[in-house]
Amino acid sequence: MNVVRQFGNGVFSMSGREWSLLVACLLAIVIFSVASPHYATSGNAATVLRNSVELLLIGLGMTLLLAMGGIDVSIGIVMGLAAIAIGRVLGAGGNPLLALIAGPLVGAVLGCVTAAVVVLGRVPAIVGTLGLLGVYRTAVFVLLGGQWLSGLPSSLTDLLATSVLGVPVPALVIAAAYLAVWLALRRTPYGLHLLAIGNSEEKARLSGIPVIKIRFMTFAISGVLTGIAATFYVATYRNVEMTIGSTLALDAIAAVILGGTSILGGRCSLIGTVLGVLLLRILQNGLLLIGVPSLWQPVVTGVLIIGVLGFEAVCNRLPLGRFQRARA
Amino acid sequence: MTEPFLVARNIAKRFGALTALANVDLEIRSGEVLALLGDNGAGKSTFIKILAGAHPPSGGELVIEGNPVAFHSPKDAAASGIATIFQELALSENLSIAENVFLGRELKRSILGIPFLKRKEMRQRVDGLLKELDAHISDPEAPVGSLSGGQRQAVAICRALNLNARLVIMDEPTAALAVAETRKVLALTRRLAARGCAVVLISHNISEVFEVADRIVVFRRGRKVAERLAADTDHEEVVSLITGAHPDVRALEKTN
Repeated sequence: MNVVRQFGNGVFSMSGREWSLLVACLLAIVIFSVASPHYATSGNAATVLRNSVELLLIGLGMTLLLAMGGIDVSIGIVMGLAAIAIGRVLGAGGNPLLALIAGPLVGAVLGCVTAAVVVLGRVPAIVGTLGLLGVYRTAVFVLLGGQWLSGLPSSLTDLLATSVLGVPVPALVIAAAYLAVWLALRRTPYGLHLLAIGNSEEKARLSGIPVIKIRFMTFAISGVLTGIAATFYVATYRNVEMTIGSTLALDAIAAVILGGTSILGGRCSLIGTVLGVLLLRILQNGLLLIGVPSLWQPVVTGVLIIGVLGFEAVCNRLPLGRFQRARA
Repeated sequence: MTEPFLVARNIAKRFGALTALANVDLEIRSGEVLALLGDNGAGKSTFIKILAGAHPPSGGELVIEGNPVAFHSPKDAAASGIATIFQELALSENLSIAENVFLGRELKRSILGIPFLKRKEMRQRVDGLLKELDAHISDPEAPVGSLSGGQRQAVAICRALNLNARLVIMDEPTAALAVAETRKVLALTRRLAARGCAVVLISHNISEVFEVADRIVVFRRGRKVAERLAADTDHEEVVSLITGAHPDVRALEKTN
């Protein structure tokens, strides 16, 4: 029988979607290089990669959430709260190792709060996390008291801005996170259960899957990844501003959808998420360098989301769409 | 005749003032296909829901291999070896055949405390089951969403077999299928019985029932009104039993 597998089996397996993203990334790089003399420099490449660290980590968690039929629009502010916790530890002259634990810990706790509201409280994820977004945003203002946390000690930076065997620590952590999430998704019962829930929660329950446990775990995992992202954020910028993370959720959802993960759940691509993050950051950086004000960045992100989903909707109406649905 | 796998004695089900089932006595034997026939609302569905553990009976008892059982949930029924394949199959279209067959009961090995799937073993086992059922599905890695209705029925049957089901209940398995697909599912049903499973089949299609069933039980207005060996009856008699035109049914309904 001639059946196309919906996922590759390898860690970096790519299908048409991922290859076209890769081509789009390369195309954008070529266009920006021609348009701006400042673009094609090693310094700028490092900037783009540096700017992608938090979004890559949060994007991995968001991929799991969307694949499960969930979402978390509060995730950027969760990173903000975790960053404040790390900043407080550092500001109080705390041990940098303690600061290293603070982020994932706060992320895990807030992930569990989100899970309690959405999973145990049976509130639809989009509404529940929107409510939490309002609560958390005010919490950030109250905790910061209207002032930035700035001039934080460099102890955390010294720890994370290093290289092991020539590989920067952020790259190592991202590779480890990618591998862990990939293994969980493709090689453990957890991943199967998550995808089954994303396909149909009711059918998953009838199949004997512990739906509540799996959903709860996934929000917690996303929280931990967000806490790790916060650690890199604080280590890099050594300050926490009032508007921290305000566009991160939008960026993460855009990158994940670009990568081919279904907004309706049941299907996802981790390598697609990585490429989606890179494309988004390449576009944002390039547009800035050719003179488009950063104010326009959320417009680009928003248009990308609508464009991709619109394109998919049109494709599904074409005769070819039946084939694609069958694969989904 | 073999010892019955399951005996239902005097089963009744009332929903408030409404009596959905009364005095149903039935024996279900291993290796036999038993067809339940009856008009809409005759009580077939209520009866299989009791067997599947989805409804507790209001009266009577179920005995499996000599031991009385009480089901509080579909899980209890499954633990006693009863698998129900409902019309709307509980399969995940985005997962592969092998993944669906094992979903919720995966084979796993623990590495550093983390459970990893034994993908190869699961695939081999499903390969074996598909071959045994002669299901004409070559690739257990194919997503269920790419399969036809009949092939999905085959996957659901594999799932039931993999749960070591001793009794498989099939609720109108051919209702949504094309002719060729229907043939295959009926052949699967026979093969299940040949494997030693007890099969209970609900169908509205009488010629189909004659093709696969060993015994035919007719429900009418919440009662079992007739039981026949398929070899001893014909299409016409069964129709008259279902509609109530048969003299036996008339006599029975007069005395009640």
